[in-house]
Amino acid sequence: MTAEAVHPGGIADHIHPEPQGFVRRYVFSLDHKIIGIQYLITAFVFFMLAGLLAEAIRTQLLNPAGGFVASDTYNEIYSVHGSTMVWLVIIPMLTGGFGNLIFPVQIGARDVAFPWLNMLSFWIFPVAGLMLFSSFLMGAPTAGWMEYPPVSLQGAPGTSMWCAAIFLVGVSSTITGINFVVTILKMRAPGMTFTRMPLFCWGQFATAPLLMIATTALAAALAALFIERQFGVPFYDPTKGGSPVMWQHMFWFYSHPAVYIMILPAFGIISEVLPTFARKPIFGYKLIAFSSMAIALLGFMVWAHHMFTSGLAPFLQLPFMILTYVIGVPTGIKIFSWTATLFGGKIHYTTAMLFAIGFIGLFTIGGITGIFLAAIPFDLHVHGTYFIVGHLHYVLVGGSLMGIFAGMYYWFPKMSGRLLNEKLGHWHFWLFFIGFNATFLPMHWLGMLGMPREVATYDPQFTFWNRFESVASYLMTFSILIFFVNILWSIRNGKRSGPNPWGARTLEWQIPSPPNYYNFKHVPTVYGLPYDFAQPLPYQGLEDELTDSPPPVAAGTH
Amino acid sequence: MSVASLPLDAHGEVDQLYIETRELRLQGFLLFLISDCVLFSSFIFAYLYLRNSGQGWPPPGIHRLDVPFAAWNSVVLFGSGATMHYALENFKHGHFMRYIWFLLATIVLGAGFLGGQGYEYTHLIYGEHVTWAGSGIFGASFFTLTGMHGFHVFVGVCYLSTLVLQSAAGVYTRGKFFGITAGTLYWHFVDVIWVVLFSIFYLI
Repeated sequence: MTAEAVHPGGIADHIHPEPQGFVRRYVFSLDHKIIGIQYLITAFVFFMLAGLLAEAIRTQLLNPAGGFVASDTYNEIYSVHGSTMVWLVIIPMLTGGFGNLIFPVQIGARDVAFPWLNMLSFWIFPVAGLMLFSSFLMGAPTAGWMEYPPVSLQGAPGTSMWCAAIFLVGVSSTITGINFVVTILKMRAPGMTFTRMPLFCWGQFATAPLLMIATTALAAALAALFIERQFGVPFYDPTKGGSPVMWQHMFWFYSHPAVYIMILPAFGIISEVLPTFARKPIFGYKLIAFSSMAIALLGFMVWAHHMFTSGLAPFLQLPFMILTYVIGVPTGIKIFSWTATLFGGKIHYTTAMLFAIGFIGLFTIGGITGIFLAAIPFDLHVHGTYFIVGHLHYVLVGGSLMGIFAGMYYWFPKMSGRLLNEKLGHWHFWLFFIGFNATFLPMHWLGMLGMPREVATYDPQFTFWNRFESVASYLMTFSILIFFVNILWSIRNGKRSGPNPWGARTLEWQIPSPPNYYNFKHVPTVYGLPYDFAQPLPYQGLEDELTDSPPPVAAGTH
Repeated sequence: MSVASLPLDAHGEVDQLYIETRELRLQGFLLFLISDCVLFSSFIFAYLYLRNSGQGWPPPGIHRLDVPFAAWNSVVLFGSGATMHYALENFKHGHFMRYIWFLLATIVLGAGFLGGQGYEYTHLIYGEHVTWAGSGIFGASFFTLTGMHGFHVFVGVCYLSTLVLQSAAGVYTRGKFFGITAGTLYWHFVDVIWVVLFSIFYLI
């Protein structure tokens, strides 16, 4: 479809008949919005499980000698905690979840390009998650979420199950990535040029190629690990000529871009929430959009900065260090643009906005410690310590997860037609913010002092801060309980939101909440960026959306 | 695309929906091939990495691969690429029977390549005792990569056989033949992968 006009009889005119029955509508649904909600619910279930594992870790660390669980069990717990949070929580929530739910509507499409593949991609995901957790029954993996050989070669049988599960999640991600790229390239509404696309779509557009390219690289590494474990075919075992460092190369060639898979969509969410609640056009629209693409591209060139202690030749280390610094530039541009968006704005402190502002601060801390770590001498000092744990949680929890929460408070009315309770939301934010910082900030100095990560016991000199962190982590978990209570309560009793409770200007807010299965009665025409609050809405053809006029006629019976 | 070349539906009208969905499917299929290519590239990286970390190649105790045989086998596969090309061209120009014959030739050549690969495997495993798990990184990388490629050829042969049956049943028309286009793209992709694999395993 060209951007200029809708061709009669084309996809924009093609509406499937309304799905009938509970199973068609909510279980094996082809509707991108339902699939997005399915992703979110499934991922939140895994989030609870992995959160419980995290609390088991913190409870173990209350005492220097541990004592809550055995050391082997501890290894299993943190390995599955990390794997779950990365592959079953943050990536599916941000891409399959919010991606599916929001961006097809934001570009004015009726659905994604391949609805059937979308359904397939979703249903692989809970199966893979169950496989990952079933590994506890046969001895879960014990080498952390990175599963470095040779430890992972000697791991319990569950390690092979881990390989298979992550491979399957990867297949699901790849399908989603292909689906999203084609949807954004081909299914935009008339007039929705790339430079008029909302920034959330840009976030997805930068992420989707990473999903389909980086994930397949990981699939190869996982397949090789699986083959080696099950059939004894040597790839990684140094005694048979294999190379454990090769796994690190292959793993990080995926997993560094994966870091951006986990943050670029969150950048997109923040870029929607900030202008809406500051009532100001986003500052530097093109800079934010293009810096996402730059980050996605540079993300493929920096993987070996995770391997400075793995015996890489010094002349190879330097370029990786410099390129890692270069990534700081587009990221800094974003932080600057968001701050400038807030500057002089009429800020509404809704919960979504609090999480967005919190995101800027916490992500900046995580980003700056990342710049520390890019420096080879510093990295040599803190590699494998709690400094890393602190850094990665500031980026993934303070960054991605805060973005997810901002998105939940922002788009929950669009999913359900009801607002989340703001009072509970404020409690959630403040307890989470305080608990999070108190849990993870001390990890930086514990790491500098040399406390190693992924060990079940620790030196008694670190006792005070570890107890402090554990208690704070309980506070954080409690705040998340408030969030779940809020959702369960609001879904029945929340205030009705109407189509556009925030006065936001992107397309999804111009149609009823929750939207109809066909999204738009007439596909709108777009005339400009959605962020200029002083101007009338830049859309045409939306007049019937909120009236009682009959829904569009479904085409055919297939 | 000019209006004259737009496909017509049963009522003789321009079928806009088909044009647009075909574009989506074409793009989706190309992206799938790209990600498949990354899968191969990762294994190729692994092979080259392992090859350069050891003491020379082939490792001590293993003979060089039989280049002339593999070269002839490659000719068979590349020949199948040519026949596939002519199959698609003939279909586009409406020569249905010639299309079927070229398609069948492609299937026979593809199966012939697989047979050749099977012969090579048998010779290696039983003649030279080079096995997947028992011959170090040589067996691991050679059998994994060529096996993966062989599996792709096998999938291709199955797909093309389905195309023959579908075409005989009249599934594809002058205007609607994306299935054949996708099969052709896939087959050429598998050919190109073999060019790389042949070069890195047999030539260097």
